[in-house]
Amino acid sequence: MSGRVIVITSGKGGVGKTTTNANIGTALAKAGKKVVMIDTDLGLRNLDLLLGLENRIVYTIVDVVEKRCKLKQALVKDKKNPNLCLLAAAQTRDKTAVTEEQLKDICERLQKDFDFILVDCPAGIEQGFQNAVAGASEAIVVTTPEMSAIRDADRIIGLLEAKEEIKSYHLLLNRVRPKLIKSNDMMSVDEVVDILSAELIGIIPEDTGIITSTNKGEPIVNDEKSLAGQAYMNVAKRIMGEEVPFLNLEEDNSFMGKVKSFFSHLVGKEKK
Amino acid sequence: MEKGYVENGFIVDVSHAKKTSQVICELSAILDLPDAQGKDVFLKLGALEMNRTQLLSVKAMVESMGSNVEKVSSSSKLTLQSASELGIDTAEIENVVPTIAFDNVKPEVNKELEVALDKIFGDDVSDISNLHKDINEPKEVIEPEEKIVQANEDFSQEAAHDEINKVIEEANNIDAEIDINSIESEIKEDDSVEEISEEIKQHLKETEQLPTLYIQRTLRSGQSLKSEGNIVIIGDVNPGSEIIATGDITVWGILGGIAHAGCDGNTYARVRALKMNPIQLRIADILARRPDTANIPYVQKTDTFVPEEAVMRNKKIVIHKLYEV
Repeated sequence: MSGRVIVITSGKGGVGKTTTNANIGTALAKAGKKVVMIDTDLGLRNLDLLLGLENRIVYTIVDVVEKRCKLKQALVKDKKNPNLCLLAAAQTRDKTAVTEEQLKDICERLQKDFDFILVDCPAGIEQGFQNAVAGASEAIVVTTPEMSAIRDADRIIGLLEAKEEIKSYHLLLNRVRPKLIKSNDMMSVDEVVDILSAELIGIIPEDTGIITSTNKGEPIVNDEKSLAGQAYMNVAKRIMGEEVPFLNLEEDNSFMGKVKSFFSHLVGKEKK
Repeated sequence: MEKGYVENGFIVDVSHAKKTSQVICELSAILDLPDAQGKDVFLKLGALEMNRTQLLSVKAMVESMGSNVEKVSSSSKLTLQSASELGIDTAEIENVVPTIAFDNVKPEVNKELEVALDKIFGDDVSDISNLHKDINEPKEVIEPEEKIVQANEDFSQEAAHDEINKVIEEANNIDAEIDINSIESEIKEDDSVEEISEEIKQHLKETEQLPTLYIQRTLRSGQSLKSEGNIVIIGDVNPGSEIIATGDITVWGILGGIAHAGCDGNTYARVRALKMNPIQLRIADILARRPDTANIPYVQKTDTFVPEEAVMRNKKIVIHKLYEV
């Protein structure tokens, strides 16, 4: 078995790399795949918090690299899903504690036992980024519909294209707010895709549930009612090769929404 | 001068004293300091009842040390009466707020002297040094999940693997839940209880003699403190930070990170904190983690602190309150 190594990166900070990683990883594991997540954000680790596994970490990736423990020992099993593992970053060290070769080696060793290896990349394009990308063959570039995030994503895509190891990359548009797009206050999905000319793998709507799920240490895909959770689930399906249509975020599914749309039909297209 | 205000004076708070002998012991230790010479002393006494002779001997003692009793405050009528008979200013206080007289001076109480003085003054208040001895009630147990395996730098794969398996097996054999009260009673029924406590005392003494690292700041996420010896931190230890010591760890604040006491195998090492909320506690090679239900990333800061102490008992980490609130 040779697992797929996917790096999740963005360039800009705060666009949702770690949240995406936690949710896609959980979704893939729920679908029965064996998944390991590697947090390469040494010194600023967060992935463990989002998964609620902070209290179980004994060994980190630095311990593995410095041969204080075996690789299997450092893998923290998820509370709910035995298919899901986390290789945590060390909080008390910095990005120089691990080299590109070491990360590549770890990824190669994990490929034997896991279907998916998701690498959580730190923000920036320095050593941390280079490390994270080293072992990967695919990439997911996370961005939000904002100029700054898109500019950084463009830079990242450029860097990824220059890497021979990266065979393919996809775009994930996060924190999309259909209402703002409708009122022309936010860039639409098509515009972003046009600018970056990359293939889209998912559109995640802005969801306040993300905040509570992060604080609870429980990925939002476990909440089947949540729209963002469904969107992440669909991304996982697309990664596995299924063809899933994108969620229609524009449509207001509530009763009031239907009433409104009914009336707006009666009144006509006066707004536009 | 009516509000207990003394010029060129020293306010000496001995309101916690329960015996005249204790007052004398502490006063003599304080007045022995060079900067106490020739000062007027405002003596704060608590509920202690002193008759004229007793107060006179206190006064004589203060005067013999080159100082002067200027004022006496007390909540006891008898003490105030005897003070006025001796011509000392008095101030009545209603509720006594115990404060420490000198932050940096801890008067050494000479046991023998105290006993001797007891005989003279005939007070029969029980010794206060035993007050806090019987309240170390175990409160909760964090279930140890797995042991930390000390792997050598150049370990052979097979040997390490065997060792890990062994440890995991051992960890699985330990019961998840453990009734501390039953253990407590077992220990009490045990005939060899004296030996055990003596042994522990010996180990505690050894730990006490280790060098101590004293730090006065907040330890933040990503910071790591390691010491061969004990560590005392005045400040909080935030989640994401770690403290590793071969001896005891004492946190005068909130412990929210990882604390590893006795990291070279000292199973008698302890972790103390004003508020315990660690992600993980490690003593020697035993590990305990925070329960998942209490997975709050940050501790809510409160005014009520319950000092707690973590010790290892029967290969389990047990937290108990240090003082009853």
